[in-house]
Amino acid sequence: MTEPLLEVSDVAKQFGGIRAVDGASFDVERGSITALIGPNGAGKTTLFNIVTGFERGDRGTIVLDGERIDRRPPHTIARRRMVRTFQITKALSAMPVIDNMALAAPDQPGEHLTGLLLRAPVARRREKEVRERAHELLEVFGLSDKAEEYAGTLSGGQRKLLELARALMVEPRLVLLDEPMAGVNPSLGRRLLDHMHELCERDGVTFLFIEHDMDVVMAHSDKVVVMAQGATIASGPPAQVRSDQAVIDAYLGAQVKA
Amino acid sequence: MTWAPFLALSFEAFGSLDFWIGAMTLAGIYAIFTLGLQLNVGFTGVINFGQAGFMAIGAYTMGILVADVGLSLWLALPIATLVTMAAGLLIGLPSLRLRADYFAIVTIAFSEIIRYVAQNARGLTGGNQGLLGFDSQWIDVSNAVQDGLAPVGLEDQFLAPLLIVTWLTLLVLATALRYLQGTPWGRVLRAVREDEDAVRALGKNAFAYKLQSIAIAAALGAVAGYFLALNLAFLNPNSFEPLYTFIGYAILILGGLASFFGVIVGSVVVYTLLEATRFLELPLSASQVAALRFVVVGLVLILLVAFRPQGIFGKRQEMVLGD
Amino acid sequence: MEAEASPAQPGALGRREGRASLRTTMSANPGLVAAGIVLAIAVALIATQGLQPVAQTGLNGLISGSYFALGAVGLTLVYGTLKLVNFAHGDLLTFGAYTAFVANITLGLPILLAVLAAIVVTAALGVFTERVMWRPMRAKGAGLLQLLLMTLGLAFVIRYAIQFVAGTAPRTLDVDVTSSVGFLGLRIGQTQLVVMLAGFAVLIGVGVMLRSTSLGRQMRALSDNFDLAEVSGIDTDRVVMATWIFAAGLAGLAGVLYTSSIGTMTPNLGFFLLLTLFAAVILGGIGNAYGALAGGVLLGLAQEWSTLLVDARWKLAVGFLVLILVLIVRPQGLFGRKERL
Repeated sequence: MTEPLLEVSDVAKQFGGIRAVDGASFDVERGSITALIGPNGAGKTTLFNIVTGFERGDRGTIVLDGERIDRRPPHTIARRRMVRTFQITKALSAMPVIDNMALAAPDQPGEHLTGLLLRAPVARRREKEVRERAHELLEVFGLSDKAEEYAGTLSGGQRKLLELARALMVEPRLVLLDEPMAGVNPSLGRRLLDHMHELCERDGVTFLFIEHDMDVVMAHSDKVVVMAQGATIASGPPAQVRSDQAVIDAYLGAQVKA
Repeated sequence: MTWAPFLALSFEAFGSLDFWIGAMTLAGIYAIFTLGLQLNVGFTGVINFGQAGFMAIGAYTMGILVADVGLSLWLALPIATLVTMAAGLLIGLPSLRLRADYFAIVTIAFSEIIRYVAQNARGLTGGNQGLLGFDSQWIDVSNAVQDGLAPVGLEDQFLAPLLIVTWLTLLVLATALRYLQGTPWGRVLRAVREDEDAVRALGKNAFAYKLQSIAIAAALGAVAGYFLALNLAFLNPNSFEPLYTFIGYAILILGGLASFFGVIVGSVVVYTLLEATRFLELPLSASQVAALRFVVVGLVLILLVAFRPQGIFGKRQEMVLGD
Repeated sequence: MEAEASPAQPGALGRREGRASLRTTMSANPGLVAAGIVLAIAVALIATQGLQPVAQTGLNGLISGSYFALGAVGLTLVYGTLKLVNFAHGDLLTFGAYTAFVANITLGLPILLAVLAAIVVTAALGVFTERVMWRPMRAKGAGLLQLLLMTLGLAFVIRYAIQFVAGTAPRTLDVDVTSSVGFLGLRIGQTQLVVMLAGFAVLIGVGVMLRSTSLGRQMRALSDNFDLAEVSGIDTDRVVMATWIFAAGLAGLAGVLYTSSIGTMTPNLGFFLLLTLFAAVILGGIGNAYGALAGGVLLGLAQEWSTLLVDARWKLAVGFLVLILVLIVRPQGLFGRKERL
């Protein structure tokens, strides 16, 4: 295989004396599905925030497709076709579902005042494409009949689906999902996983996701990265990680403390 | 309760053309002013408490450029607009990154600084004596328009031309903003209002949109300032007290957040009421009547926000206040 | 009072050099650094302007600083406890001043009783607004903008109701505004001296109360972190009520002290003071009670010392400028924590 799509090396972050992330390093291979696991408080979400530019790490480097992206603001990182979702969904409730989708599309000159003024026909054409693509994706995710509804009227599970569908509007190479299955009923959850596999296999989209359900992680990922107390302590194929002594200790330790 | 003053009104006031021309000119001016607040608050989620300051910058820059520097009014208007937009960027750049409530405090402090300068930099602004002599070119135009109004019998109405130009400008601006709201640009703004992080995660520079929003609002404040200056024929710092920003908020809430045409209705209602109270026949002094007007403005603001936060025309689903 | 709350000067009077290193030191011990900066500015001013004017304006600054601090501490506690940016707080000062006027002039009560009346009646107004407006709105889950606009509306109602009743003509209390006392070459109005001494006595009392009584500690805890305080078993309802009594009562007192010191009151006095109070609150770190006390005194000094360099008519603008500079340079304030932003 060629060089990894995402390389995270020795990232650390302190909050007022607490080491939230303390030396995290891992790679995400192109076209793979990687799971990030670890006990509560291991620093997974903070690491996500650092990788996507929402927090600034104290040290370490993050390389996306051969280009350093640490210290860049979130929107420029997203424009490099790496997009994330949030643990608590950020569906824009006061906007219709279709607008949520269209918002995410890149390369829309109509999003700039100069583009509106000088490239109006291009903007109109692009908007038409965007809406078509949005409807396609909503169809795939079973949200077609909700297109014109305000996103606030969707159920929790539907919001998760919308957020994933919206992320795909960015035409991403890499999608980071923060607990995509949390709060989703099992049948919707299965659909979400199926979509993930399909996108990965058919379109070559790479996924990195945080998940707590071990069965899901073991069954659906090519590689598992394990974090504990801010550091990455193991990574490899699911079967290998499952029998790793350090991982077992970390999880048992966490359970004993809890 | 807001309707109570009407009962005591001498109905002559409502029959008089002077009253309506005066009140509707002010309604038009403050509708333009409040369009800026609507763009900021209703569509971007930026709480701008300094709109009166932007109005002052626009009006005074125009006045100084014409009266002191000797520029043509028609050249002064675009320059003053650009200056005001630059002021908007200047105040937005360091403070739009702060929390929304901090931004509110910064903008009101900024607007008070502007008013202090207008009051105290007497050499430049005429201080409390006021700034005069910037409207001769407008008066030429106004006279020509007035002559043209003879067929409809308005040739005696000195202020009719300003009313017409103010409302034409208002309608053009409201239509333009309404159009922008429906574009992809407007969509990003609304998304910023709801959740900046979601917008940034999708590759949009939320901060740049907030800056654009505040710069455009500043320009709208400036335009309102020009019409106010022409209406008063002189500039006085008292016209730019934070009070006027807050009347703008009353208009905004009354007309409903996230509706540009609601702003126009809100402004007509508020200025009809405010101006009508001048004709109240109550056993009160002028200062008491003035005080009573603002007690009512305050009560209306409280009651609307508490019991009908979407305003008269706002949509509940797009309600911004309850977030 | 604590070392933290000692008078200190904001790093805002044109000190731009060495800010980066300043920032790191400040996070370690902001109170000490702030005090150092005040000292440095005082020394620089003495060197250029002479000792006497600096001492005289400094004295004036402590006078106004005392009522700024009393106004600011309530504003910050209400913010911290209820997340309410109260634009009507300034008008509570006005309300206090006019209550004292009614007691002192209309009813002819002695000034001490009038002060007491101002505190009690303003505190009652604070409790009234909490019961009628803020508690129901909190129960509804009102948003930031909603609450902001309601405080604005309330500010209008209080200010213009006072104007309706009392008119716009300046009013005076029955205090001696002409005699003054001199010492060490400095002059201070007799009433102003009383204002300053009373103001600082109350300030120290407030500081001690916040530090050593359980109610005070609970108020600070709630102001610092409402949710945490609630789960840790503080009777939040009781503390919220106490905060209002405390905040509004001190605002009433500050209004009387301001009026006594300046000599007159008008219905918009509170609104003029409000932005200075916000400046003090933000300078001290919003929600931090000691910070507001220090911030108030600092602003008093900054405003008065500024008159040595620029015309006195710009005094009020100095407060606004400090506010904007603090927000740009150190938005969490002298004593605030960055995470709160």
